[in-house]
Amino acid sequence: MSEILKYLTQTWNLKKLVTLLSLFVLMMTSGLPLLAQQQRFPKPEFESGYTQPVTSMPEARADFFAWFDVVILILALSLITWLILKKRSRRGVLAVSVFSILYFGFFREGCICSVGSLQNVTLALFQPEYSIPLSALAFFVIPLVYTLFFGRTFCAGVCPLGAIQDVLLLRPVTMKTWLQKVLGLIPYIYLGLSVLYASTATDFIICRYDPFVGIYRFDATFFMFSIGAIFLVLSAFVARPYCRFFCPYGVLLNWMSRFSKHHLTITPNKCIQCRLCEDSCPLGAINKPVPVKVMEDRSSATKRFIKLSLIIPVLMILGGWTLSNFHENLAKVNSKVRLANELMLFKADSMLPSVEIEAFKSAGTPVEELYSEAAVIVEQFYIGSWVLGGFLGLVFGLTLSGLSVFKYREDYTPDKAECVSCARCLKYCPVEK
Amino acid sequence: MDTKFSNKPVNLSLWRGVAIVSGVFAILICAMVIVNYLQINKVDPVNTEVINTLVERLNENPNDAQLREQIREMDLLVRKAFFTNQWEVRTGAYLLLLSIIVMIIAMQVMKMGKKNLPSVDEDYQQNIIQYQKNARKWVSIGGSVLIVVTLILAFVTHKDLGTRFTDAAKVAKAETVASEVKATPEAEQEAAKPVVAEKKDVEKLEELKASEPEVKKETKAEVIEKPVETKAVASIKKYKGEYPTKEMMANFPSFRGPGGNGIGYQKNVPTEWDGVSGKNIKWKVETALHAYNSPVVWGDKLFLSGADANQKQVYCYDKNSGKLLWTADVKDIAGSSAAPEVTPDTGHAAASVSTDGKSVFAIFSNGDLIALDMKGKQVWSKNLGVPDNHYGHSSSLVVFEDKLIVQYDHKKSGKVMALSTKTGDQIWSTDRKVKVSWASPVIVKNGGRVEVILAADPCVASYDAQTGEELWKLDCITGEVGPSVAYANGIVFALNEYASLVAIKTGAQPEVLWEAYDYLSDVPSPIATDKYLFVVTSYGLIACYDALSGELYWEHEFDNGFYASPILVDDKIYLLDRAGSMHIFKADKEFVSVATSNLGEKSDSTPAFADGHIYIRAGKNLYCIGK
Amino acid sequence: MEKKGKKDRRDFINTCFRFAAGASLVGVTGVLAHKTVSGNTLWQIDTTKCTQCGRCATSCVVTPSAVKCIHVYDMCGYCDLCGGYLRPNVKNITTGAENQLCPTGAIKRKYIEDPFFEYEIIEDLCIGCGKCVKGCGAFGNGSLQLQVSHDLCVNCNQCAIARDCPSDAFSRVPADEPYKFSGFKKEKKG
Repeated sequence: MSEILKYLTQTWNLKKLVTLLSLFVLMMTSGLPLLAQQQRFPKPEFESGYTQPVTSMPEARADFFAWFDVVILILALSLITWLILKKRSRRGVLAVSVFSILYFGFFREGCICSVGSLQNVTLALFQPEYSIPLSALAFFVIPLVYTLFFGRTFCAGVCPLGAIQDVLLLRPVTMKTWLQKVLGLIPYIYLGLSVLYASTATDFIICRYDPFVGIYRFDATFFMFSIGAIFLVLSAFVARPYCRFFCPYGVLLNWMSRFSKHHLTITPNKCIQCRLCEDSCPLGAINKPVPVKVMEDRSSATKRFIKLSLIIPVLMILGGWTLSNFHENLAKVNSKVRLANELMLFKADSMLPSVEIEAFKSAGTPVEELYSEAAVIVEQFYIGSWVLGGFLGLVFGLTLSGLSVFKYREDYTPDKAECVSCARCLKYCPVEK
Repeated sequence: MDTKFSNKPVNLSLWRGVAIVSGVFAILICAMVIVNYLQINKVDPVNTEVINTLVERLNENPNDAQLREQIREMDLLVRKAFFTNQWEVRTGAYLLLLSIIVMIIAMQVMKMGKKNLPSVDEDYQQNIIQYQKNARKWVSIGGSVLIVVTLILAFVTHKDLGTRFTDAAKVAKAETVASEVKATPEAEQEAAKPVVAEKKDVEKLEELKASEPEVKKETKAEVIEKPVETKAVASIKKYKGEYPTKEMMANFPSFRGPGGNGIGYQKNVPTEWDGVSGKNIKWKVETALHAYNSPVVWGDKLFLSGADANQKQVYCYDKNSGKLLWTADVKDIAGSSAAPEVTPDTGHAAASVSTDGKSVFAIFSNGDLIALDMKGKQVWSKNLGVPDNHYGHSSSLVVFEDKLIVQYDHKKSGKVMALSTKTGDQIWSTDRKVKVSWASPVIVKNGGRVEVILAADPCVASYDAQTGEELWKLDCITGEVGPSVAYANGIVFALNEYASLVAIKTGAQPEVLWEAYDYLSDVPSPIATDKYLFVVTSYGLIACYDALSGELYWEHEFDNGFYASPILVDDKIYLLDRAGSMHIFKADKEFVSVATSNLGEKSDSTPAFADGHIYIRAGKNLYCIGK
Repeated sequence: MEKKGKKDRRDFINTCFRFAAGASLVGVTGVLAHKTVSGNTLWQIDTTKCTQCGRCATSCVVTPSAVKCIHVYDMCGYCDLCGGYLRPNVKNITTGAENQLCPTGAIKRKYIEDPFFEYEIIEDLCIGCGKCVKGCGAFGNGSLQLQVSHDLCVNCNQCAIARDCPSDAFSRVPADEPYKFSGFKKEKKG
């Protein structure tokens, strides 16, 4: 009895196996020709035992490295902060600078950088379909947090853009302070424009005109190389020209640094007003004491301050109105707007279609869809240019009224907003700890 | 304190030397890299005009070994230059970087070596009031300049883009809706008047398009309302007659039957014969000049044409006795020029003649078009210009009412036109942006209209047979299109070798119902019935598909290939293979062979059917099959 | 005493601002926290949109371009008369330069068995011009496709080719699906 049972189970197993196998064969034979039929020239069945090579799909850099970059950023920031605030060592800053030039610059080829991440954040805030990589967010936030506590130590030597300019500095020329103030307004404009373009998903202009990325990458267009070279040569004589007069991320760091808790001080102890450090800062970021005798008459200064403060709203409206008139030109950077404009001016009988128009036609998207999308984008630019103009008006107004304020100062202190904590001034101070 | 400023002695002159040498080196390398970089942009391997023109020249003289050698050398040179240049730029960049690093180090060391101890300028006093005043002044100036420049630029370039885009979108939308309405065949049947109204609408739309940004709000509202209006009034002059007409159906007036759709409306067609033994061969005559065109029949007369490089003739035979009734020499046509070069398998008269019972029309390789009356007398003639066609013109003629429809797609231009059958004057002509096509027009009644359907790279398109207006178009076909389309039940089937077989649901917005890629044809045309589609290939395979779903019902392979197109007669398909055997099978879901009859002579021409007889042109002979 | 009071006030205002700045930072991070992807994003070409305009070869910041022609062997018909390898209207099917479509000779043609040939892209020579892709797509199965080769791509924050692409075929995708090949010809309708 048991023998029979065993036999039965065995045969049953065998049967099952056979059915499975035949099913499998069936699937193979019916599935493959189906696949092949869809092709115009079906894949041949080779008789010579030819094995088909694998389609090459090279792997991207592993995700793990993005995290590695974040870790390196945190380490470098902590190290340089410690070197600046505790060790008060310019040499240490220089060493970290060289490291960031090598790692974030030449090794990582200047891409991922905090300056550019500003645009990823903006894009993520305004465009719902874009998800920001966590590492980009980290690169945006971490330096700001450090700056809020310790001043612009990120600028000092972790940012590869700042570092390369810093190590090149040879013979800083002293700049007129008012000129420095005026040029210092350019980053606000640049920041505003880059936010406008990033928020409308038009372009990342900071990355597009990054002067050093081409040098780090050993590869760029002639134009990019040229701006890179100009900035490098310039930075031998003007300290950090990009950081001070262009960097849009620098604006944010500047704001954070104003309120920083433990900013670098020139003297480790009490200032003795020896004036030795007076000219030590290549950036002109040392606030000198303001003795009472050079002060303006208080009442007239206050009056002017109030007057200037009152015109801020006027400036904002003026700025908004001006730029809103200009919004079409700003919008034309957007590829969709450009295409719609081109299509509107395109005459099929007398003009050759551009590559864009041909591609658009072959895609078969309805023209009306493009036009209405372009109209929406232009509208966004209209609103955006009002906001941007208002912001710039505010910046100009605040700068003007800020230039009417006096702060009594007895000591030599770094200007927390402008100082990048490069630690050059430290060795000029004769005071011991 | 002394530790802060280093007092270590520095060999200044050494470092200065290093700095100068590395600086000079850097400048040299930099110059070289820039030169090289510019060169890379010059030797762009993607756009080497020289090689491309040389290759074109080689295409013209394929046997020029020297030219070929020259191309190969040039190609190697360009590629080498491109890659070497890239290597040089890369190496140069590394050297440049290295020298700049050395220079920077040297200069920094020099700077440190110069012991500039901090000093205090006693006289200097910063005037903070002066600074603030200056700064305020320049910030204000800077801001004002910015505002003024921006405003000037803004007003100079002001275009009101947003409104223009919105308007353009509305116009585009109105246009698409209007065109949809225009092409809806189910629209009301009001006669001529609505056509005028519709025209007005189109004009209005065009006006709207032309009117620039100052489109007022009211007009905009009008634009949106327009389509609705159009819908109400627009209707197409519905074609009330039948096509093909009863008369046409009783005869076989053109290539692939009435309207050229591959259907013969005959009964009692013989299925069995034998050319060798003479069984069921009623008569057999020799034609003077050979050609690949097919015979057409009207009443008792059978017409065909023949030509060589020097001579062009149209023949008329008595269809019952095979007696040659007349031969018309086609010559002395105004504007005519010598026959162009054609390939031997196309010949100088590949296009079949067509007749409407009053005249017979013939076209030849040099663009000569002639109309002869039933007695062989010339009614009119004209030359359409030598078609630029590398194989030779082969699109057959077909008649609709009083219009002779001519497809004239060649390299220089593409068009389809209707000529008056009485005078030869052009009634309408529609330009087509297509490549050369060898397919013949197919005329069918589709809904309320008679359409001329044409296939050519890149589209299958339909034209109103009365006005020539393009009714619809769908980009779906590529290559050198040979087969004509087949039509049944509102669906057009088009195919071409190396392209695809597409079933198109007609209408203002034509859509692809299905596509297939397995069996494609470069010569014979398909046949469609309401249920099935039959595809014949030149390599001897026949396939039957479901007309609606594209499901492949059957395929059958024959020993010989096919150039002649199949004809559906009496629910049977007659298909002549290149060796001369007629395969007759049922137009059904399964392959059921009815008979195979051999003519005993090779043939590439499509047979004609009339009055229970089959007429086949094979080689130099013309056969009549039947009792 | 007065001085000290002034200093305290300044410190207090400073602290307030510091907290405000810190709060705004936390706010931005919080808003974005649910919109993040943990991995990196990569640039990808949607091959169904690609029109082979040739800008991939010229616009990339890397020379030669990081966009390469990738051969999807599964789709290849191993044709003798290959529209991706040979110039149109060739008279002889040989590997002579006058017959090759590729401007840099980056396609290697290898005989396999009677009518079949294998085509291999030599990545070092490929400049991503897309000529072969166009040729294969127009005539053949479309097994040659342009894709970003991710070992070469420096993954710019804003891809320079994406900016110049006329058909908007570039997009950022999560790193786990770096390549996208359009399927068999059937997908390409109308």
